Amino acid sequence: MSKHAPAIKPADDPAFQLPAKLSALSVPLCAGGLLVLIGGWALGTFGVSNEFGMSAYLTAFIYCLTIALGATFFVLIQHLCRAGWSVVVRRVAELIMIMLVPLAFLFIPILATLWIGEGTIYKWDDPGFAEHHHLSPETWDNKLMYLNPEFFTVRSAVYLLIWVGLAVYFFRSSVRQDETGEIKATERMQKWSAPALMLLSLSMSFAMFDWVMTLAPMWFSTMFGVYMFAGGILAAHCAIAAGTFVLQKTGALRDEVTVEHYHDLGKYIFGFVFFWAYIGFSQYLLIWYANIPEETVWLFDRQIGVWAWVSLALVFFHWILPFISTMSRHVRRRPPLVFGWAVYILILHYVDIYWCVMPELFTGADGAMQAVGGAIGIFASILMAVGMATLMLGMMLRVAGQTRVAASRDPRFRESLAFENI
Amino acid sequence: MSDDNNTKKVHGTVAEYTSVDTLLDACRRIRDAGYTKTDAFTPFPVHGIDAALGIKPTKLPWIALAGGLTGLTIALMMQIWMNGINYPYIISGKPYISLPAFMPVAFELTILLASFGTFFGMWALNGLPKFSNPIFTDPRFDRATDDRFFLYIDAKDQSYDQAGAEKLLADTGTEYINTVVEDDSPTQIPKFLITTLITVIALSFIPALILARMRVTTSSKPRFHIFPDMDFSPARDAQQTTTLFADNRAMRPDVPGTIARGDMEDDLDFLTGIKMESLALQQINKERQLVALYPQGEDEEKPSEAAAEQGDGPEKSVMDTTPWVETNPVELTSQFVRQGQAQFNIYCSTCHGRDGRGNGLVHQRAQQIMASSWIPPASMHQDTLYSDQYPDGKLFNTISNGIRKMPGYAGQIKVRDRWAIVAYVRALQQSQNASLDFVPDSQQETIKTRKAEVEKMLKEQAEAEKKKEQERATKA
Repeated sequence: MSKHAPAIKPADDPAFQLPAKLSALSVPLCAGGLLVLIGGWALGTFGVSNEFGMSAYLTAFIYCLTIALGATFFVLIQHLCRAGWSVVVRRVAELIMIMLVPLAFLFIPILATLWIGEGTIYKWDDPGFAEHHHLSPETWDNKLMYLNPEFFTVRSAVYLLIWVGLAVYFFRSSVRQDETGEIKATERMQKWSAPALMLLSLSMSFAMFDWVMTLAPMWFSTMFGVYMFAGGILAAHCAIAAGTFVLQKTGALRDEVTVEHYHDLGKYIFGFVFFWAYIGFSQYLLIWYANIPEETVWLFDRQIGVWAWVSLALVFFHWILPFISTMSRHVRRRPPLVFGWAVYILILHYVDIYWCVMPELFTGADGAMQAVGGAIGIFASILMAVGMATLMLGMMLRVAGQTRVAASRDPRFRESLAFENI
Repeated sequence: MSDDNNTKKVHGTVAEYTSVDTLLDACRRIRDAGYTKTDAFTPFPVHGIDAALGIKPTKLPWIALAGGLTGLTIALMMQIWMNGINYPYIISGKPYISLPAFMPVAFELTILLASFGTFFGMWALNGLPKFSNPIFTDPRFDRATDDRFFLYIDAKDQSYDQAGAEKLLADTGTEYINTVVEDDSPTQIPKFLITTLITVIALSFIPALILARMRVTTSSKPRFHIFPDMDFSPARDAQQTTTLFADNRAMRPDVPGTIARGDMEDDLDFLTGIKMESLALQQINKERQLVALYPQGEDEEKPSEAAAEQGDGPEKSVMDTTPWVETNPVELTSQFVRQGQAQFNIYCSTCHGRDGRGNGLVHQRAQQIMASSWIPPASMHQDTLYSDQYPDGKLFNTISNGIRKMPGYAGQIKVRDRWAIVAYVRALQQSQNASLDFVPDSQQETIKTRKAEVEKMLKEQAEAEKKKEQERATKA
């Protein structure tokens, strides 16, 4: 209102096209990412162990998945709130969201190990587990009613179907609107965003229970799904900010995304840094205070050996440092700084996932190094994460090359252009 | 503008606008003209008005941050002082200064003081509370809460002159410009308000005065009970009588046939620490009574009251004929003893001390406040409590049913854990009376040499003392 909304550029304006520089990178990134991923997996599997390779693969997978799910949540919540400010950056989020489709296929290796029976990291699949851990047969039989390869596969398929369905529906509707400009599409998406959100939240929470929490079959934390979600939505905001920044640097969206949008994304990043810490601490405090052996074991494993340092690193570098650093409005209103902190948190998000998944490879004080896999193990884990993220990036650029990088015919696009923080 | 206005003090100039856009344009105009003491009044928040008026970003976030940090510091210091220094007290086996437990309070106080900082900081920055503003004298200003936008230039502005401001504003698409003058409505506060206020303040002193008086005077009248049913709970305590039941006992025995969980698995000797078969030979009635109690759950009824009351005396009681279980029925392993240690440290060490010398925190506190009815907890390290005079079964019974001031722990500690404590107490006792044979061979040598060294040192010291004595004697 203060500033008259600038005119929307025509749909074929270079501002809305993926810059040639980036679209040329698509195939090399895909191929390179796939190679690095396979290389990392081979290094982890043959250099350390079958289980190690699979565990590091799961870490990389959950890393990419939580970001994609976080982006889906972002898209849905914008529709639910009929948000105006975010329309110019929503397509970036949608591009991250549609990566749920290739990620669904990348889950197959994890299922495969369960069915082949070789190298699976889910200990509940081990018939000797109950005896080895002195569990009463009754407890264990009850657990196995839920934790068995058949039911696990069915549940995983349901989660993946829900996500792929949601991602495809919301992505297609948004892209179709680029051509038709119909307001009906926005109204439909708004209508479906509420049930979609409920489906997403529940399925995500249960997926994290199934895929990550059951790595320690006897451990449980009802908060675990929320914890993973908190990290995911934080990383998603960072990915959106970073992606938008790169697009702007290479020539797209130059006038469309302003410092105001970075400011809002920065606020989200700031807020969710604390939300993540809040949820993480809530989970920790309850377990720590109650001091019940079957609950503390999970945290105890993360307080011994090298894992104690990783835990402390998360406290200082995933929470305190970014929290203090992004507190100032001046930081959030400088796009290069927002970009820098976004990339920083994206790296720390990997550490967070790594901290959740990898320690389950060992039990007891003496095996800490086994879970890290030594220098080879660390290198292999990083290779896999970088490989999978690069593969996703390449695919994202491929999709972006065929569509536009902003939902320029969304009815609220003009409102978003003129958006200003007070 | 009437002539009347010219004689009154001028506070500034106000202009009225009909749309946001004209208002914002006007704001920018007067900002660019160099006015800084300006204000805009709108029926709803207008984005970008700060920039249009040239208002600098507020200092409020810094006040909020300072408030938050103050709250955080106070909360942490307070808790560390209270729980770690002033009254060190172990809660749930956590360290005195256990940061995770302090976090919720620290978090809440951070938020509280940050909000106080924001709220009162905002008042301070805005000069609130302000009961009146000269601009209210403008007859059209009421519409600022409805459908009109107002722009105000204060006369205190350095570059303000009335004619210039009016000329500038006239140029900005307004149809109404007015001079804001001193409000000449009566400033007298209504009498009844003052009277009420004084009365309320006067009345509010009464409770404080009553309290102050009570602090310095004594009274022979009984205490005034605001909630009598909370001070005198109608619920019966243990060991009290009641007219509700025929046997007058407030504590009810378990319904016949009740079986406590897990108790079916264990035999009576294990549950009571008494050899039941021997007891049956001695006192058939007592045995029957006990068998009737178990395994329906461990009642607080003392299996051998005579023994429990006198067993801990200085000499071994001749009255104690109970055939106690002599040795711990559970196989002794290091894990079992360690389990006993953990239980001992949780339940027993508060009174008996971690070393079993009877100098636990509760005892220390009782001494500090000189509690007259306090009976010091027994030290585990006395002959009468060694296993030859105080069988394991009897110790188990004491833990289960209590003795003197010590309550029974049957309700808190599981049977097996009570036996584990017995095992640990035996280990504790041995640790204070260990002979050299208990020490592994590899360490015996070092201990022997250390012992020799210490003996030698003591001897030398004694000789030196003697010498000094002699010297003193000769001098004298």
